[in-house]
Amino acid sequence: MNTKELLSKLTEPMGVSGCECCAAKIAAELLQPYGEAKYDPNSGCVYFKRSHWNDDKPTVLLDAHIDEVGMIVTYITDDGFLKVAPCGSPDARCLLAQQVTVYGNEKLFGFVTSTPPHLEHDNTKAAAFDDIYIDLGISGERAKYLVSLGDRVLIENKLETLSGSRVTSKALDDRSGVASIILALDILKDKSTDVNIAVLLSSQEEIGERGANMGAYNIDPDMAIAVDVSFAKTHCESGENLGILGRGPMIGLAPSLSRKMSEDLIMLAESNGIPYQLEVMEGKTGTNADIIGVTRGGIPSVTVSIPEKHMHTPVEIVDINDVESTAKLLAKFCESVYVDL
Amino acid sequence: MIKELEKLCLLDGISGDEGQIRDYIVSRIKNKAEIKVDPLGNVIAFVKGQKRAKNRIMVSAHMDEVGMIVTYINSDGTLRAAPVGGIDPRVVFGQRVRVGRNDTLGVIGGAAIHNLSPEERKQSVPFDKIVVDIGTDSLEESKALVSLGDSIRFVSGFESFGDCKIKCKAIDDRAGCAIMLKMIEEGREYDTYFTFVVQEEIGLRGSKCAAYSVDPDIAIVLESTTAADIPSASGGDRVCELGKGAVVSYMDRSTVYDKGLYAMAFEIAEKNGIPCQTKTRIAGGNDAGAIHLSRGGVRTCAISLPCRYLHSSCCVIDSRDLDSCFVLSKLLSERAAQL
Repeated sequence: MNTKELLSKLTEPMGVSGCECCAAKIAAELLQPYGEAKYDPNSGCVYFKRSHWNDDKPTVLLDAHIDEVGMIVTYITDDGFLKVAPCGSPDARCLLAQQVTVYGNEKLFGFVTSTPPHLEHDNTKAAAFDDIYIDLGISGERAKYLVSLGDRVLIENKLETLSGSRVTSKALDDRSGVASIILALDILKDKSTDVNIAVLLSSQEEIGERGANMGAYNIDPDMAIAVDVSFAKTHCESGENLGILGRGPMIGLAPSLSRKMSEDLIMLAESNGIPYQLEVMEGKTGTNADIIGVTRGGIPSVTVSIPEKHMHTPVEIVDINDVESTAKLLAKFCESVYVDL
Repeated sequence: MIKELEKLCLLDGISGDEGQIRDYIVSRIKNKAEIKVDPLGNVIAFVKGQKRAKNRIMVSAHMDEVGMIVTYINSDGTLRAAPVGGIDPRVVFGQRVRVGRNDTLGVIGGAAIHNLSPEERKQSVPFDKIVVDIGTDSLEESKALVSLGDSIRFVSGFESFGDCKIKCKAIDDRAGCAIMLKMIEEGREYDTYFTFVVQEEIGLRGSKCAAYSVDPDIAIVLESTTAADIPSASGGDRVCELGKGAVVSYMDRSTVYDKGLYAMAFEIAEKNGIPCQTKTRIAGGNDAGAIHLSRGGVRTCAISLPCRYLHSSCCVIDSRDLDSCFVLSKLLSERAAQL
């Protein structure tokens, strides 16, 4: 399976925050060849221990979140339209004219309503969740039979190739992180390491890093890398504080992160010719590293982020080369890390 | 007719770039009609009936669809896009598109929502800030794939869903084209001119010339019209509703329709049990605006298919309305021939 196929397989299943089961199970299957992977229905997380686990060795945790942004049904009108609220923070500017899947008693197609031009006098105002409905094309009675409040709704775009090594899909945030961890394990397949490698595919990151809260406690690692996506420059932006697509993983530097781990990663990237960029954050990071860092008595943590355009939209873009470079960097780190217990 | 509609909707034909859809239509009817493609690209098809018509009848639908056009390639490889036809900029943000002859895939997005101020988050992205990202990093890379003036089309599959509902791009007005193809397929009692016209969406341009050439006594325009039967609209603002049949208008923004034909359409509908409705608001406009003013004037009627979310990648119709439009159009056009 090449990286594009891997990403395609990972991004396809639904995994809106709190309903990660489908996405988590597929990712767990992909981890299985490299050790022991288990989906835990209580936390919604996937826990993985690499083969040759030894309780006497220190443990490095590689984390990526398995959930994605989406919507949740809050009301059903008498004529069969659904009201929805955001689950996570999807970009509301993308809502209009989208096809959605409603995960009711059965999978239903629906479409986001838009106000026709004769009734809309101000199209400078962005669409908002309060203004839209989901049109299922069925009666109120049928809608109430098939759909329950709390069901998830998702704009689903299958992965497609753009020019060169770029791909676009929903949920590349953070299935690209999951992909890079799987690829790193593949690089390390026949190698022994001085550390145990644990993987956490965490649930509910998009609604406040809740899966990592439980997962990191359970795993109790000695250090952790949160592998996520971060902002790549788009056309209208100046580029300050943003990554560039195709120029390698973004290594985090922040007061809340382990400076030593950041420096080790930079050194490894330099010495192995792996392209990288720096991402400086002034406090917390907005990733699972924030919560993992303060788990139990404290866990040294760092972020490695894959640059991504159009985050939290159905048209996210990443560069395959960045996903692969991230995998190389993670593998090198696991091979060379020394933990002073 | 649904299979035909699917085929027609999935072909591309932004206003001024109707070649693909025109070639398909010509291939479908070349053995059944005398065909002329006029200088603008309109298809004018004369179908000989079993009898000579007293009046020269023109039945018309437009082939073009709304979309965008590439106006500039930025130094970072992204494409500037301008709307072709009336499109709300909010229905293109977050969409996938195909560009130019190579069908290059692109997406429309912008700065991540996280990096916008609370004020900026409330604003839509206007067309002068919309760019298409095709995955390139430079002007040179993009120039190898696309050119200025290339059409930008929505990527949108044909889906059946809900109770007899259908969704696709371009239903406006491939539905009218599908109805005409079926009328031609079935054969006519009276001689009829069918015109598949271009450039409706940028100002009723093809129909103006087609009407001049055909010089009809009576014209019937087949269209798709805005239905606002959604929870955020009530009463007259809903205009018309899905599932309530063919829409026959007395007036819209481009035309005051012929009163005799309007009454006749409802009379035929009632006699034959065809669901039929009128608009509850003066909204929309169509090729009738150009046709009824052609030469010394043409008696004109419009029969429209109610359609939600017109001018977006997700037009939604009820297939039962398509049948109603077909039967009504057929009966009205045959009746008008012998007036």
